[in-house]
Amino acid sequence: MKRKYAVAAIATAAALVLAGCSATGEPADDGSADGQDITLWLMGGDTPDELRDYLKSEYADATGGTLTIEEQGWGDAVAKLTTALPDAANTPDVTEIGNTWSPTFTNAGAFTDLSDMYDELGGDKLLKSFVEVGEVDGAQYALPYYFGSRYNFYRKDIWDAAGKTVPTTLGEFGETVKSLRTDAQSGFYVGGSDWRNGISWIFANGGELAVKDGDEWVGALSSDESVAGLEQFQDLFTGASNAPVTEFDSTPWVNINNNDATGVPEAATIIAPGWAHWSIGDITPDPKDSTKTVATWNDDVFGTFVLPGVDGGVAPVFAGGSNIAVSAASKNQAGAKELMKIIFSEEYQTLLGENGLGPANLDYASSLGDDQFAKALIESAAGSKLTPAAPGWAAVEGAGILEEFFGKVSGGGDVAELAAEYDEKLNELLN
Amino acid sequence: MTETITRDVAATEPAKPRTPAGRRRFLSVPHLLLIPAILILLVGMGYPLVWQVITSMQEFGIKQQFGQPADFVGLQNYIDLATDPTMWQVVGRSLAFCFITATMTLVVGLLLAVLMTAVGRTARLTLQISLLLAWAMPVVAAMTVWIWLFDRRRGVVNYLLDMIPGVDMNRFSWLSNPLTFFIVASIIVIWMSVPFVAFSVYAGLTQVSDEVLEAAQLDGANGAKRLRYIIMPMIRPVIMIVLLLQLIWDLRVFTQITMLQDAGSKASEFDLLGTYIYKLGAGSQDFGMASAVSIFVLALTLAISWFYVRALLKEDEQS
Repeated sequence: MKRKYAVAAIATAAALVLAGCSATGEPADDGSADGQDITLWLMGGDTPDELRDYLKSEYADATGGTLTIEEQGWGDAVAKLTTALPDAANTPDVTEIGNTWSPTFTNAGAFTDLSDMYDELGGDKLLKSFVEVGEVDGAQYALPYYFGSRYNFYRKDIWDAAGKTVPTTLGEFGETVKSLRTDAQSGFYVGGSDWRNGISWIFANGGELAVKDGDEWVGALSSDESVAGLEQFQDLFTGASNAPVTEFDSTPWVNINNNDATGVPEAATIIAPGWAHWSIGDITPDPKDSTKTVATWNDDVFGTFVLPGVDGGVAPVFAGGSNIAVSAASKNQAGAKELMKIIFSEEYQTLLGENGLGPANLDYASSLGDDQFAKALIESAAGSKLTPAAPGWAAVEGAGILEEFFGKVSGGGDVAELAAEYDEKLNELLN
Repeated sequence: MTETITRDVAATEPAKPRTPAGRRRFLSVPHLLLIPAILILLVGMGYPLVWQVITSMQEFGIKQQFGQPADFVGLQNYIDLATDPTMWQVVGRSLAFCFITATMTLVVGLLLAVLMTAVGRTARLTLQISLLLAWAMPVVAAMTVWIWLFDRRRGVVNYLLDMIPGVDMNRFSWLSNPLTFFIVASIIVIWMSVPFVAFSVYAGLTQVSDEVLEAAQLDGANGAKRLRYIIMPMIRPVIMIVLLLQLIWDLRVFTQITMLQDAGSKASEFDLLGTYIYKLGAGSQDFGMASAVSIFVLALTLAISWFYVRALLKEDEQS
């Protein structure tokens, strides 16, 4: 018995002592970036390895410190940022954030005021809509990192066989892809809960997700224009897509490529962010790794076009992309700002463009090239639109309300009724 | 004078048989040794609990997370919850899920335990090793495989079901409909918890004395009767405890549900209490409300356990 107690005592003592060891001293910020080891959070795999290596080596050259890049999944990034950013011991020093989350975090005071270096980092040349979502009272907290945009990829072989041509209006687009649908093939593959694509139909019809009424943000899903857009999307989904109504985060390019089991594609058309073109094409085994495959773009089979507007022209699609900011709680402000200078340098901005990511500084947009992907990206980005800059927008996304709403619309629910119901839910979170 | 007497008493004590008084004095050292453990419990569990109770009475959002003072709102969060139909739907769904899953787990575990006593050594060892492997499998790894199994396009479940003549399960989307979603979730949770139940009950079964069973057999009790009238009453305490633990675990199930939601749908019809709290707190940064739901779940757990603890105590008194 005694020995048991002794063991228990030693174990508890050890637990106490070890717990006491975890607090270690951090060097104070003396205003110099020299030798500061900093951490950068990047969201998902959108930033290619080549760019990551560039940042690490440039940062080491500039400061002698180490840059650690930690990749966070898009899915739970809001939760991680909310808990890590206020905590000086665990905060990333610099972090990428989804552009639509910028208002939430900047309004909460999560980021360092970068107004004094705004001009040095590019100033007026930076993508304006992205700068605006990161501003509070005219001061810049979160700056654009890169932009992307969505456009359509289609199977020329299937369209040609059916005698279809690239549509010029949104209505014509809908009719065309509906006619291309069979039980085994979606005319247009889009997930029923995929609101990031679905909102294009709201925007194209002149609707909004939310509008500012005085000082308050209110949901605008039930406006006539939004309802018209949603009904058009509902008609499109039920008539053209074989995807489940609950699908929200799909990889649609697997559907437009030939299925390796059947040899035919499952979708005649998809909409996807521009960089998806690296994943679209004729599938062949990867010469470097036999367990993988590579896609080679084939102009005879695949084509691109931007989503047309209601009366022709270009439909406003969701302006994808990210902002980047320095954590206010970071102890390495100097190092973090040094990294910002590297990110906004001509070399890095050009690298972004060469990798198909729209550079924050529009002076370097030409680095995107002039192939059809670059053209489609620039053309669709010109008309693109951001989600409302409401302080509670990240909460709306985090709660999955729009996925749920679009799922119900796609499921065939009464659009006007659903829109009124979900406007109420938005109102609770927006402000 | 007093001193001598004391010394005398002390000197004579070791010769005496242990008295209750002597034992009590001896126990003070173990009591002291318990203090660090209690402290750890207080710091490790008490602090979050107190924080949670306080936060549940505040309006605590993302601005408070970044340092702004929080408004004290008393029981307002609880009142909001009580009047929110979504909350009661989630509670009802969670209770149904937890009772059905825990009962199924117990039934399957019990049957496997009985099977273990009935089969030969090789079969038993094979069974035990496979159960251990299932038990030792990290949740995320197991979930990944389960999600593949139920995948809409290439899942082996759809493939096999589709081969049955007259059954059309090609592209059946298990995770798109709340009912099939929770059937899949339940199957996965049962798979993960059966080993614990099976081993616990098996341990209980080995304690049932052969003499009693033999006597019952001589008196003409067949297998089913022996199980019902002899074995079950004897291992009842084990079953009660295991069922209680299962109920508590299944009420706060989180990882399995959230991973299935990632593969299926994030809509609120697919929420149980765990994911509901996560969405409120981490998702929409309403930490006050999330804390209030957490406290409610704690109360719910205590209520379920209390029923069982009382039954267990009664049983203790009877025996």
